Amino acid sequence: MFELDQMIAEQLTQVSLSSAIQVRVGANNAFGVTASTMVPLMQMFEMGGVYISAGRGAVEIIQAYEAIGVDVSNIQFLDLVSSGVLGGTDVPYPNVTFIDSPIMLESILLRTLYTLRTVNTARNFVILDSLNALSIYNDDRMLAEYLHTFINTFRQREVLSVLLTVPDQTPPLVLANLDTYCTDIVDRGQVVLL
Amino acid sequence: MQSSGVYTRDRCVTGIHGLDEILRGGIPYGSTVLAAGTCGSGKTTLAMEFLVRGALAGEACAHFTATEPSVKLLENIRQYAFFDMNMVDSGLINVFDMDVLYSWLGLEKASFDLDDVHALIKSIVDIVNTIGVTRLVIDSVTTLCYKIKSEQLIRDFLFTLGKKLATLGCTTVLISEITSATENAHWSSFGVEEAIADGIIVMGDSERMGHLLRFLQVVKMRGTAHSRAKHAIELTPLGVMLIPMLKWGASADKTSRWGS
Repeated sequence: MFELDQMIAEQLTQVSLSSAIQVRVGANNAFGVTASTMVPLMQMFEMGGVYISAGRGAVEIIQAYEAIGVDVSNIQFLDLVSSGVLGGTDVPYPNVTFIDSPIMLESILLRTLYTLRTVNTARNFVILDSLNALSIYNDDRMLAEYLHTFINTFRQREVLSVLLTVPDQTPPLVLANLDTYCTDIVDRGQVVLL
Repeated sequence: MQSSGVYTRDRCVTGIHGLDEILRGGIPYGSTVLAAGTCGSGKTTLAMEFLVRGALAGEACAHFTATEPSVKLLENIRQYAFFDMNMVDSGLINVFDMDVLYSWLGLEKASFDLDDVHALIKSIVDIVNTIGVTRLVIDSVTTLCYKIKSEQLIRDFLFTLGKKLATLGCTTVLISEITSATENAHWSSFGVEEAIADGIIVMGDSERMGHLLRFLQVVKMRGTAHSRAKHAIELTPLGVMLIPMLKWGASADKTSRWGS
């Protein structure tokens, strides 16, 4: 049975809607840490929001949540991956929207803002999964600038930002900016295998 | 002691997400604004939303279409949630086919002379006056001016039309089709529209690694301070949305579609 990391849920009780949380994950525990962050936000704090998937297609993520018994039909997914795959956008989920490419950073932000205007939950989050995936396509300086814009845009609108990253796959400039602009950190990026 | 107040012109609040911020409150009332853009850059959608936001505030609006039949225009715009066909039915949004107007005026000819131009101006002004239009769109002034062969006549046409509409308190958007939105490009097809307009909004596409990103830039707007930065735009079902383009992104982009 899948177990959520309760320490993360406890930590989330300390954050506010205008917070920006940096969530450092390892390559092996990414889904577990992400779920341990998102599920309490949905179930304990009754939040909705937008999940931006840059690492994997949205369908794969939705099905991973379904497999652990979590209903994510109330979460809107922005899929930056599947448009690059022929037939990838033919999906059975109405809560998935596609963006042409992870290069279209401004479009991602605009589409997220649009989506937030359409959701019916009073308190919302934006999960960006992940900065290391975006760094495959985007220049470090541009990504650092984007991070600054992204966090401030949602802080101003009282939408909680959750920024996932695998630290050892993220450019130092981007990591430094994450440290500067995020108000909180969930650090599960150093996984010790026993 | 009383401080001397700074005079600010009344604004026509466009209601378009982000644009009023760029314009520090909206377009100064009675202005003639050239919306110049490459194909597919969102000119018609922007102009139509400008009218719809006005109609929602109870203003009478008019759209003169020369590039596509009104039926097709309305069909395309119906996909947007901000548009409601009742606005057309109730007379708040009035769409006119230029071809029909030409037919009424007996102007079904290849080129217009001075008298034809004056007849056209009079008919547009009469319609604006009769309906009490406060927001007007001509889509496109490029198509319309193709029939006016002399540059001087185009200048006179636009100057006189703009002046008369301003007197009636009508804020006008003239759509201009351009093939390039680079720094060195003209923002109009005939080179005279941009000099006469009170404001110029340029719309185009930036190419970033093989993908086209729509942008909007206000390069001129008399009567108001405004941002002159490039803004990324997205055409969403709720309307046009804008945010500033990433500065590092702009340096990485090729300047525009069809750009030199």
